Amino acid sequence: MPSIQEDDDLVFRKICSLIEPLNEKGVKLTRETDLIADLEIDSVAVLDVVMDIEDNYDISIPVNTISEIKTIGELVDAIHAIKKEQS
Amino acid sequence: MSLFDKFQNTATQYQALLDGIGRDPFGVSMDEMKGPTRAMVKGKETVLAGTNNYLGLTYDEHAVAAAKEAIDQSGTGTTGSRFANGTYAAHRQLEIDLAAFLGFKHCMVFSTGYQANLGAISALAEPPDDVILLDADCHACIYDGAQLSGAEIIRFRHNDPESLDKRLARLGDNVNGKLVCFEGMYSMFGDVAPVKEIIEVAHKHGAYALLDEAHSFGVFGDNGRGVCEAEGVLDEVDFYTGTFSKSLASIGGFVASNHPELEYLRFSSRPYMFTASPSPANVAAASAALARLKDDQSMRITLWENAKRVHAAFTQLGFDLCAPMSPVIAVKLEGREQAFAAWNFLMENGVYVNLAIPPGTPNATSILRLSVSAAHTSEDLDAIIGAYTALSETLSNQAA
Repeated sequence: MPSIQEDDDLVFRKICSLIEPLNEKGVKLTRETDLIADLEIDSVAVLDVVMDIEDNYDISIPVNTISEIKTIGELVDAIHAIKKEQS
Repeated sequence: MSLFDKFQNTATQYQALLDGIGRDPFGVSMDEMKGPTRAMVKGKETVLAGTNNYLGLTYDEHAVAAAKEAIDQSGTGTTGSRFANGTYAAHRQLEIDLAAFLGFKHCMVFSTGYQANLGAISALAEPPDDVILLDADCHACIYDGAQLSGAEIIRFRHNDPESLDKRLARLGDNVNGKLVCFEGMYSMFGDVAPVKEIIEVAHKHGAYALLDEAHSFGVFGDNGRGVCEAEGVLDEVDFYTGTFSKSLASIGGFVASNHPELEYLRFSSRPYMFTASPSPANVAAASAALARLKDDQSMRITLWENAKRVHAAFTQLGFDLCAPMSPVIAVKLEGREQAFAAWNFLMENGVYVNLAIPPGTPNATSILRLSVSAAHTSEDLDAIIGAYTALSETLSNQAA
């Protein structure tokens, strides 16, 4: 079993790899990066990235949850919470 | 911090694109209508190829006469809601006629197609235990209806029954009602859903299926009852939603169902209860258009012949088309700038189509969306194909 920190990094890295193709301005991705304000990714593109994440982790992330998420870190935290709940 | 800050980014981008072409694709005014397929735009006679006038009935003599008579008899507006003081005999009759045409026992008429989906979905699902599953490419009114319900919303991959199956299987035991929302033909690309498989998956998991046939009603199926008729599963649909503002050439919307509980929505659906009912003229025009649709199959045959001709011509020109042949023919461009320029080029050549850019389009594509009408004449189609031929030459010269 990976430690929480390692697992956290894996989810973070996975999300970054999915977001990187949309990162047209080449912003450095951190947990504080705001998906819409910093990366200028539109709301539908965020939903599409989340769909990839759902299939990758075999979880469902409700649209209601996503609309409250602003930063990459918040997305990472939401995935951990849902993985725990749905496993 | 101001209320308006959030618009600034989009406004700046939008302005830059407008300055580039000197015309607003999202503010075109048809200054004078010349019939179902032509209008004057800034002094130029323009072929309308970006409408949803699939059967071309907007000037149908029966519908026009019925609408005029309805105004003479019942006035210009109802000034009341369906729930309170705005239900006339004609609203009831149209519900009966639509239910009979589709083969459902119950039907409710709303003021717009948008409100039909908004009203049905928001009333059917409820937090905290109901879940709405919707196709990723669903129209804004389905998303808005889901949001208005307050229930949990889960997206599944577009036209992908397996993706829906996985998401339904993942739901926990404490989920109560499940509602799967999807469309027959999708308006932007003109692609068609695997309706039979999606309904099968929904029912396998005990979910209800809500199918929006806004763009496919009157267009698909031997009798024009939609994609679900074409696939032979009309009676499997739990909630069938549609609009009067496309094939029926009016404005309004409806939900039909065999579940008697549909009637409960009359006192629980806010978009039904708290808005004025469709005007007598709108109802009469929709009723007359429905009668025409039932009696005259030739409009649908002409529509598909026209679609075939345009689709074949565009394929030959080498355009990147978004879907197999249907009355909606969308051409994929390389990006926003190219799409804006191409749209403007067609306007200058007297052809109006819809420019669609992200986030209003699937997969972040920039497209020119064209919709064919049964009312398009051979000359209209020549003009459309001619303008696209010139566009294709311009694009290939730029690429060279």
